[in-house]
Amino acid sequence: MPLEQVLDTPTAVSYTPDYEGERAVVETLRQRFPDAVLATEEFRGDQVVTVRADRLLDVARFLRDDPELRFNYLVDVTSYDRLHLGETPRFATVYQLHSMPYNRRLRLLVPVPNDTNPVVPSVVELWPGANWMEREIYDLMGIRFQGHPDLRRILLPHNWDGHPLRKDYPLGSEPVPFSVNWSEPEFQDLGRQVLKPELPLENVPRGMDPEKYIVVNMGPQHPSTHGVLRLIVELEGERIKQVVPDLGFLHSGFEKQAENIRYKDFVYYTDRMDYTQAMNNNLGYVLAVEKLLGIEVPPRARVIRVIMSELQRLAAHLLWLGTHSMDLAGSGLALLMYAFREREEILDIFEMVSGARLTTSYIQIGGVWKDVPPAFERRVRDFIAYMPARIDDYERMLTRNPIWRHRTIGVGKITAEQAIAMSVTGPVLRSTGVPYDLRRVRPYCGYEEYDFDVITATDGDAYARYMVRMGEMRQSLRIIEQALDRLPDGPYKAGPKVSPPPRELLDTSMEALIHHFKLFTEGIKPPRGQVYHSIENQKGEFGIFLMSDGSNKPYRTHVRGPSFVNLQILDLMSRDHLVADLITNIGSIDIVLGEVDR
Amino acid sequence: MDWMGLLVIPVVKGAIILLLLLTATAYLTLFERKLLGRFQVRLGPNRAGPYGLLQPLADAVKLFFKEEVVPHHVDKPVYLLAPLLTLVPALALFAVVPLGPSVHLFGREIPLSMGDVNVAVLYILAIGSVGTYGVMLAGWASNNNYSLLGAMRTSAQMISYELPMGLFVVSLILLSGTMSVTQIVEQGRPWWAWLWLWLGFPFFFITVLAETNRSPFDFPETENELIAGYQIEYGGFKFAIFYVSEYLHMITTGGVVATLFFGGWKGPFVDRFPLLGVVYLALKILAILFLFIWVRASVPRVRYDQLMRFGWKVLLPLSLLYLGITALLVVFLL
Repeated sequence: MPLEQVLDTPTAVSYTPDYEGERAVVETLRQRFPDAVLATEEFRGDQVVTVRADRLLDVARFLRDDPELRFNYLVDVTSYDRLHLGETPRFATVYQLHSMPYNRRLRLLVPVPNDTNPVVPSVVELWPGANWMEREIYDLMGIRFQGHPDLRRILLPHNWDGHPLRKDYPLGSEPVPFSVNWSEPEFQDLGRQVLKPELPLENVPRGMDPEKYIVVNMGPQHPSTHGVLRLIVELEGERIKQVVPDLGFLHSGFEKQAENIRYKDFVYYTDRMDYTQAMNNNLGYVLAVEKLLGIEVPPRARVIRVIMSELQRLAAHLLWLGTHSMDLAGSGLALLMYAFREREEILDIFEMVSGARLTTSYIQIGGVWKDVPPAFERRVRDFIAYMPARIDDYERMLTRNPIWRHRTIGVGKITAEQAIAMSVTGPVLRSTGVPYDLRRVRPYCGYEEYDFDVITATDGDAYARYMVRMGEMRQSLRIIEQALDRLPDGPYKAGPKVSPPPRELLDTSMEALIHHFKLFTEGIKPPRGQVYHSIENQKGEFGIFLMSDGSNKPYRTHVRGPSFVNLQILDLMSRDHLVADLITNIGSIDIVLGEVDR
Repeated sequence: MDWMGLLVIPVVKGAIILLLLLTATAYLTLFERKLLGRFQVRLGPNRAGPYGLLQPLADAVKLFFKEEVVPHHVDKPVYLLAPLLTLVPALALFAVVPLGPSVHLFGREIPLSMGDVNVAVLYILAIGSVGTYGVMLAGWASNNNYSLLGAMRTSAQMISYELPMGLFVVSLILLSGTMSVTQIVEQGRPWWAWLWLWLGFPFFFITVLAETNRSPFDFPETENELIAGYQIEYGGFKFAIFYVSEYLHMITTGGVVATLFFGGWKGPFVDRFPLLGVVYLALKILAILFLFIWVRASVPRVRYDQLMRFGWKVLLPLSLLYLGITALLVVFLL
């Protein structure tokens, strides 16, 4: 792992987006690499630079190391198949970069030379966090990365046939057998259509020695892996030598689905990715679509979105607190139910506004689904009135508890440089002292108007992560209170071109009926282009890469899930720790497998 | 020969105590679940019978009628022996706990304990440790990595808490001047001796938590890390035996603690109604069990290397200090 080489990365974070600087960076690249830069483009404020594949590493290294640029954080790596766009070559990889000290963003587009055997150089040596992202592309798109240390399938089974995100890969499905008799031929091929059965599974990952050490398989059925995460752990006694996560048990091909449904319909899928924060995922996706459309939502919708987003952050933090404390204590600890009790209150509020508790799908393109009911404000005010005392209660149970401190202080320690190099975001990054919070760095929904602190800690261990999250719960309450104070009157969704007109109008207005009909039969058609938009959800940077070919379905949707990227650091965190600490680390990274596997 | 005194009375007594203990164990599970429920703002089991009172019965029926599965990869004799090795010591421990003063029945004086042994305290320590072998053998015989780790932790745990525990008990023996539990209960103590005893109780209680594998020292089975540790390969009735012995162990240790530290069956009016002693003992045990459960609902689990460090670096010096001061007290004040 070339992690050591990248540890001189700057850890300062600028809060003023430098859009002029981004244009200047593009100009610098043009001048410095006239042969490598094939094209540049600006779309909806995103700067895109097309770079030749063989010069990618030079350009990337320059971007990362030049003291004037310092693109030290690789947000996302993705790819798309241009088969139906009529462009050559067929494949392209996309690198979303962010410079923390200067607050600039840049997207590199790399056409992949060979259509039959596409290969690009790997950027893992520059940004180690690219490891899993490139594996995901290899798995789903079939692009190979030269110089990648461990290029294996990551989400799909090792003997899967083909690469599903390619445009010529059929959407397909397994036929549902209707017979009740197992000997029927209908059942013969069940579950076998797409697998290559001849490839045997390797029992022990490379680099592990089952003769010398204990190799333990944890999961996918294990109470503390928070879902269907499988970890292969090499142990010396109880001391961990190596952890190899095995993902994909919950993979459902959301990105492939997204390409085959209309923009509006994918909102419901985002609920199911990180099911602990449906609202935030809705918001992230919806904001990306709105950026693609180039529309603004009414102020009331923006404030409602902020309230929902913060309530959801609070609910997800509560869920984390309960389960994490249970990881460290066993099912007897009462804190789990205390946290759930408060979370129920939030879910009740969600039910009040959206009719659903978990998969809310409340935030829709152009605004929100329905206006909040009249009792909403009083309900939320009641909640934020008693919540601080409850948070104090939780802290009284844990913060100074010697057992809790012993279990978390110094456990899973990472440095700020390691975290940035591994593209870790969210509370895990902030616990190392890097105040990177997209609500401040790239404000959306008017977050720049709210007064709140970005909570950081310095130690980067499990206790610091706990403290950061406890602090963030209090900050969320502050934001909600300010949002309630300024909740303006007015429409709660944008015009009828993007969001359906209210039901009452359909009986009286011909025009509304036509808009309604158009929206639900055809959907919206954004202009051709690609955008990247990310928000700060409770776990970190939730990014959506959205590409339109002008039709009513997105040409490519890519989700950058914070759980997926953050989980990469587990091995680094857990080495030389005990098995008990591995559980602490999984809990304190805070993952949801629905989003890791997508 | 006195058949009555040698055979009939002990058998009847044993049968009654066994029955009482097993019933108590069954209802302890309900007590714990109810209480935990209350701590966790829930109701606890309340479906089977009024207030969930038939829940233990339902659990037992479920476990007894489960299929007996013995996995292929286990060491069969040891695998089958291990649950018994935890059950028997847990039961045997109660033999020396006096349930009350002697009662006069059918013209005989019948002591309300199975055996009044003059080295009872030593017996408690010895038998209490045997239960650990059951856990270790279960972990070893299961031939499973998780079980093995659980067994490893148990052995590490045992050597860390047993020494301080033993030393606290030695202080108690010094203070009482006898190793017979019956005499420890029956003899009076000056007020300062009681005070000194209770001062040491919290530390002793910590070692008791470790001895019974209770939270926060329940890491041999840790459902979060080792899934169930040594119990992982056990199902149905064999699992029930482990479960019963764990709860039985709680009751018997509770009985031992109540007897050694809180005067056992003693209480007002026991001289007039000897059977009242049994009630007092039961209430004291219940209070200690409540403590067990309260701790479980309130604190996170200690990591096993931390218990070892705590045992060796904190509890052992403390118990030595306690022993020394007790010796001085006994010499100068008693």
